[in-house]
Amino acid sequence: MGAPRKISVVSAAEVSKEQKARIERLFSSKHKGETVEFEYSIDKRVIGGLLVVDGDEFYDGTLRSQIEKINPNYLVTEEFADAALTAKGRRGKSVKRRSGKTKLETAGATAADIKAHVDTELIGAVAEYKKSFDVRHAGSIVFCGDGVIKANGLSDAEYGEMLRVENGAQAIALSLEEDCVGAIVLDDDDKVTAHMTVKSTGMIVSVPVGKKLLGRVVNPLGKPIDGLGDFRADKYRPIEAPAPAIKDRDKVNTPLETGIIALDSMIPIGKGQRELIIGDRQTGKTSIAVDAIINQRGKDVICVYVAIGQKSSTVASVVQTLTQHGAMPYTVVVSATASSSAPLQYIAPYAGCAIAEEFMYSGKDVLIVYDDLSKHAVAYRAMSLLLKRPPGREAYPGDIFYLHSRLLERAAKLSKEKGGGSMTALPIVETLAGDISAYIPTNIISITDGQIFLDTALFNSGMRPAVNVGLSVSRVGSSAQNSAMKSVSGRLRLDLSQARELSVFAQFGADLDEATTRVLERGKRTNEVLRQDVHAPMSTAHQVVLLYIATKDLLGAIPLNRIDEFKEQFLRYFDVHHAGILKRISDGELTIDMGISIEDAVNEFSEYFLGREHA
Amino acid sequence: MKQENIGYVSVVLGPVVDVRFDTKLPKIYEKVLVEMGEGKFITLEVMSHTPPSTARCIALEPTEGVSRGMRAYGVGHPISVPVGESVLGRVMNVLGEPIDGKGEIKAETHRSIHRKPPEYYEQKSGAEIMETGIKVIDLIAPYLRGGKIGLFGGAGVGKTVLIMELIHNIATEHGGYSIFTGVGERSREGYEMIEDMTKSGVIDKTALVFGQMNESPGSRMRTALTGLTLAEYFRDEMNKDVLLFIDNIYRYIQAGSEVSALLGRLPSAVGYQPTLSTELGALEERIASIKNGSITSVQAVYVPADDLTDPAPAAIFSHLDATTVLSRKIVEQGIYPAVDPLASTSRMLERSVVGDEHYNIARAVQQTLQRYNELNDIISILGMDELSDEDKAIVHRARKIQRFFSQPMFVACGYTGLEGRFVPLKTTLECFSAILKGEADKYPESAFYMVGDLDEVKEKAFR
Repeated sequence: MGAPRKISVVSAAEVSKEQKARIERLFSSKHKGETVEFEYSIDKRVIGGLLVVDGDEFYDGTLRSQIEKINPNYLVTEEFADAALTAKGRRGKSVKRRSGKTKLETAGATAADIKAHVDTELIGAVAEYKKSFDVRHAGSIVFCGDGVIKANGLSDAEYGEMLRVENGAQAIALSLEEDCVGAIVLDDDDKVTAHMTVKSTGMIVSVPVGKKLLGRVVNPLGKPIDGLGDFRADKYRPIEAPAPAIKDRDKVNTPLETGIIALDSMIPIGKGQRELIIGDRQTGKTSIAVDAIINQRGKDVICVYVAIGQKSSTVASVVQTLTQHGAMPYTVVVSATASSSAPLQYIAPYAGCAIAEEFMYSGKDVLIVYDDLSKHAVAYRAMSLLLKRPPGREAYPGDIFYLHSRLLERAAKLSKEKGGGSMTALPIVETLAGDISAYIPTNIISITDGQIFLDTALFNSGMRPAVNVGLSVSRVGSSAQNSAMKSVSGRLRLDLSQARELSVFAQFGADLDEATTRVLERGKRTNEVLRQDVHAPMSTAHQVVLLYIATKDLLGAIPLNRIDEFKEQFLRYFDVHHAGILKRISDGELTIDMGISIEDAVNEFSEYFLGREHA
Repeated sequence: MKQENIGYVSVVLGPVVDVRFDTKLPKIYEKVLVEMGEGKFITLEVMSHTPPSTARCIALEPTEGVSRGMRAYGVGHPISVPVGESVLGRVMNVLGEPIDGKGEIKAETHRSIHRKPPEYYEQKSGAEIMETGIKVIDLIAPYLRGGKIGLFGGAGVGKTVLIMELIHNIATEHGGYSIFTGVGERSREGYEMIEDMTKSGVIDKTALVFGQMNESPGSRMRTALTGLTLAEYFRDEMNKDVLLFIDNIYRYIQAGSEVSALLGRLPSAVGYQPTLSTELGALEERIASIKNGSITSVQAVYVPADDLTDPAPAAIFSHLDATTVLSRKIVEQGIYPAVDPLASTSRMLERSVVGDEHYNIARAVQQTLQRYNELNDIISILGMDELSDEDKAIVHRARKIQRFFSQPMFVACGYTGLEGRFVPLKTTLECFSAILKGEADKYPESAFYMVGDLDEVKEKAFR
């Protein structure tokens, strides 16, 4: 016979003699023929119940495990344990006199005295605790470093399961090998050391979801980081989920209005579409996404903004902008900043997607922004290389495409049977020196339903938003445009890219025929019409009116440099005098009569506009 | 179910799962099922045998939730899918399971997705042109009936739209059976494809197989084989001429490279699997025309990072009879379909096959465009005015030809707002011949843009 088998028993308070006898009888009979030694220890943090450790098997009947089940992010501290124990003690006395409902309140009242961040309802849940034993397997860390751990034991660990290190850190099991489990640590990786105990949790990594997150800024594990206090979510969703099946989808057929005239007219986005925003740094990528979020105010669209590898100050300024424009009440911000570990940045978009999915599957329209996926790819590359997976093109691992395809495929328009909700995704990708044919950009372009390409040269020449019409496309959005918009924007995109190509050719001094000159001149004026300030969304009706004017060449008399001014004043004039027409346009109507009234209005107003100058 | 070959999961590395068998190892390519409990199973396919008595497998479904020690057993045969006429009008996944919600596919015959290519002596090569109605393709790189055609292009240059236009133009006219295989592409496109086919009625003669980009690499690696197996059955057993559309064949190789390292192979150039060319050969050689039946295949090929020298597209090039290359530079000019007339080639563009007239016109068009490319450099330095009158005429004609290569497409009507055009080869030849002769010099350049034939140019010019 070898060394005696050690079984340790952990409890919050001293274990009674009878209990000891029962435990010892049970485990001795389990290991017949072996010498069994029992070790007893006290740890307040288990709060109540017992934890029996037998080899790599954990028989966990503690209150702490109950709390962890309710909120996997919650790290039980001694203070909390004290408070909870007190609450439990009082409950014991009050139970006899009070009904079940007040029982909770009593526990809650005690909880209110303890530290503010302690969730009252958690204690309530503890009060409702039902005795149950969980059998979990555990292991011990044999390697740790760079956010990667390897642990032995853990024989029941599932692929993709969340593991919990004894210091409260969470990890995801990513490789189940013959004698060990490889995992990536999501948080507090600097506090993980070798020989620590790791437990399997039986759960796939999940985030809290639901309405309580609206208006909040959370990290990818769903912990609030905005200093507005903790919350207890009603529901958790696994961060990885299959994309809606082909038969559960519906055609993209309703517009998601961004309020940006250049987009809504030429590169329209439909609900359920994935449209990439791509461009060099400082070309206004985030602004477009933020404008799109701002424009959803009052349109019953939930927005999720996921910041991946951004600097904290950028995230703060985005949140500030959203708050200023009243967009936070319908927005959730998920942030894994540049200082977060690579694994945390890696799960951020999946977590954001899970939060968005909850709304989508309950029939809502959701807009999700991933800012940005090039940094996500870099984080994943770091992680893969640390896990010793071989590098491919640009040192990215072989499954870098699948990384983004399985994420973006989860955005969809659901069929009526599935509730008809939708998730529109606006991933952002940063290019270097305008090279959209690099590896990650082309990968993502091949996943999305189109791209908005922002050009540094256009940006510097004052064209805002700096959309390069030739390289931007929306593959599905036009079927979602309303018919008024469709009739004015029909060939706008093709005309403009032709004008652009011609203007390059014209620089070489070629003799231009009259038709060509006309195309060029119209192109210039159209560009002026498409110019728009940031955070100044425009209603669809206004957009249609302006585009109608541009396509009918009604701006001929206005000098090029005054078109901006004219636009603004004319729209104000039009609001006052032709509100009826605007109303009808928003309903998708644009008749010849209405066109004539717009033309008359333009002529009338231009006379006044230009006349005032002379006077 | 008899479960003689029982093993236990010993390693899980993402899509790669090792199963240890104490009795008999299942054969390579055999299907292995892992019991997930509650009557659920995950399908694996054996890729290699490693000591001690372990079958290294690829999972065709996500492996989240698999743990070591789970029971698995070999079913005794490779993955096999229903074949025959009962698959027509249906949509299935890689395992041959219906995904259209219309209930079970009732087929009398099932076939393994792994098969040998036809023998050398069975091969047949035709020399008949397949008209597509798309000017630039019919003129410059005509397609061969019973041949293999590749549509190369980087991201977002219009491969899928072009393949859908080809389905519209060819499959509708074709009258025979078609198989559409979606490999690693967008699920939304899958939905739209089914929708469009249902509307046009083509779906009754079409079987669709999807393993889209949200699915695990194992599934994307095998979906092309499933589609091909359906086509082979029609060719071999029913002596049919079948159309096989694969969108996108690159994803097949890509999926292979995703699992290659996890299978324990060393990476080859640019991180691809060392078995790239044999894997591709095993698939491409099966797409063949034999004496009693043929498979005409149109394959979209994604070009990663717009780099045609990438090992994957480079390997695919050599298997094809005709290649249509789509270029981002042409997309930037707003010309759709963005076919690069100087990079696209076809084995069929020979005097003996297409005839003198077609051959001469096509070559003259290419020469004009090539000359314009050369002159472009001169223009950008010296300006247009320095050119001789003859060269000026070439520049103007070349620019008109470039624009005339654009064409409204039926399936793109939604975004261009223009009704599609099917231009018969005869008309195409007449038109280009006229442009080359200078008969169309009088019309402005913009009139050549997005039209069908010269009559339309005239009409547009006078408007």
